[in-house]
Amino acid sequence: MREISVTVNGKVRKRMIKDNELLLDFLRERLEVRSVKAACWRGECGLCTVMLGGHLVKSCLVLAVEADGREVKTVEGISEDGELTPIQKAFVSHGAAQCGFCTPAWVLAAHELLKANPHPTDADLVEATAGLVCRCGTYNQIREAVAEVSESSRPGRHVRESLARA
Amino acid sequence: MSFGSAYTTLPDFEYHKPTSLEEVIGLMKEYGDDAKLMGGGVGLIAFMKERLMSPAHVIDVKEVKELRQLSNVAGKGMSIGAAVSISELLEGGVLKKDFTVLHEALAKVADPMIRRRATLVGNLCEAIPWVDSPPALIALDATVAIAGPDGSRSVPVGSFIRGPVDIDLSPSEVVTAVEIPRVKGSESAFEKFTGGSEFSLASVAVMVSNGGKSKSAKVVYGAVNSTPVRSEEVEDAIADGITPGSVRRAAEIASEKVECVDDVLATAAYRKHLLRVITTKVLRRMMSR
Repeated sequence: MREISVTVNGKVRKRMIKDNELLLDFLRERLEVRSVKAACWRGECGLCTVMLGGHLVKSCLVLAVEADGREVKTVEGISEDGELTPIQKAFVSHGAAQCGFCTPAWVLAAHELLKANPHPTDADLVEATAGLVCRCGTYNQIREAVAEVSESSRPGRHVRESLARA
Repeated sequence: MSFGSAYTTLPDFEYHKPTSLEEVIGLMKEYGDDAKLMGGGVGLIAFMKERLMSPAHVIDVKEVKELRQLSNVAGKGMSIGAAVSISELLEGGVLKKDFTVLHEALAKVADPMIRRRATLVGNLCEAIPWVDSPPALIALDATVAIAGPDGSRSVPVGSFIRGPVDIDLSPSEVVTAVEIPRVKGSESAFEKFTGGSEFSLASVAVMVSNGGKSKSAKVVYGAVNSTPVRSEEVEDAIADGITPGSVRRAAEIASEKVECVDDVLATAAYRKHLLRVITTKVLRRMMSR
């Protein structure tokens, strides 16, 4: 056992862990951050995706000890003022969740995509979320939600336009 | 047995995080067979979950400064440190112009979250028949730089990969980098067919150089046999230039002469068909550049 200190959504969290513990288990079980879902355990579904040191990673393929001294952000940490972010509101208004199990990962990935690229094309969205699956198949609603946020800051083009061509 | 337990936990091990190559070599000398090196961990962690590997020591090399190096020396070539992630290689387009074939092969590896963690050297050292980087590296005449307790050595990628999941590396040795020579006036491209799965069923890496008077071509196929297959017959077919006629001939020869295996992913006959398709595709794309 060793103690690690990880900044999760802005708060420093210290816990004793075993060297063979996954970041996924550290977040879900030790810190009870339940938006981080455990599903495939092998890096295929992407539902355990978190931000580690400023990049999206799949936490089932990361050791908890690797996060020692670093920053982790989950969907709970994307809102800065306690209000839903634009992409969260758009997910609600477009019904971009069915069972909702994968939604935290999609919201986090879409939020980060829009932050890096405020007007993504359909191809940008597909590429950025290539590591995520939604077994209910809400992909089109997710596209619409991302398009709405993109258009609200520069109306009338981009994702929706490329959707029309598809 | 509880449901899925073998797949959700890792065997016990001790974690080490050296910061210099000297430390890594010391640890490997001490633990050797009982240790595994971890770059991005995407392969190792998955293998450990399935108990295909149960090392007593895991040595994380991500912060070893010598292995973090990425250098592109004008006129000489490129050296890619073992701890450089695939995302880092793709960003900034360092490979795009001079090593197009490798850029194209890496751009389609898994997904962006995996590429953020995975390394080129890790991908190579797994030596899994359907991974995409080895054919591209062989087409580029890349070599593997290895350090060990008895000094350093360098091996061409083609002989580093000895067979499926079998590489020319002793338990106490460490791959430090992949080195790619820059060939003046060269053009290259990569193509693969996955049929929608995450594995390549056939891939092809082509490099053509027009240095000096004589032209030369290198064509390497991946995922059709246990190790990458170079085809000198296909190379001969395009040696005088990539034209509609030579593309047709090359595709024909690829399909007839390159040895393919039957396995759970595809039959040999299907792979032979795919060779014709991807050879045509990659060469046509190079022709239209």
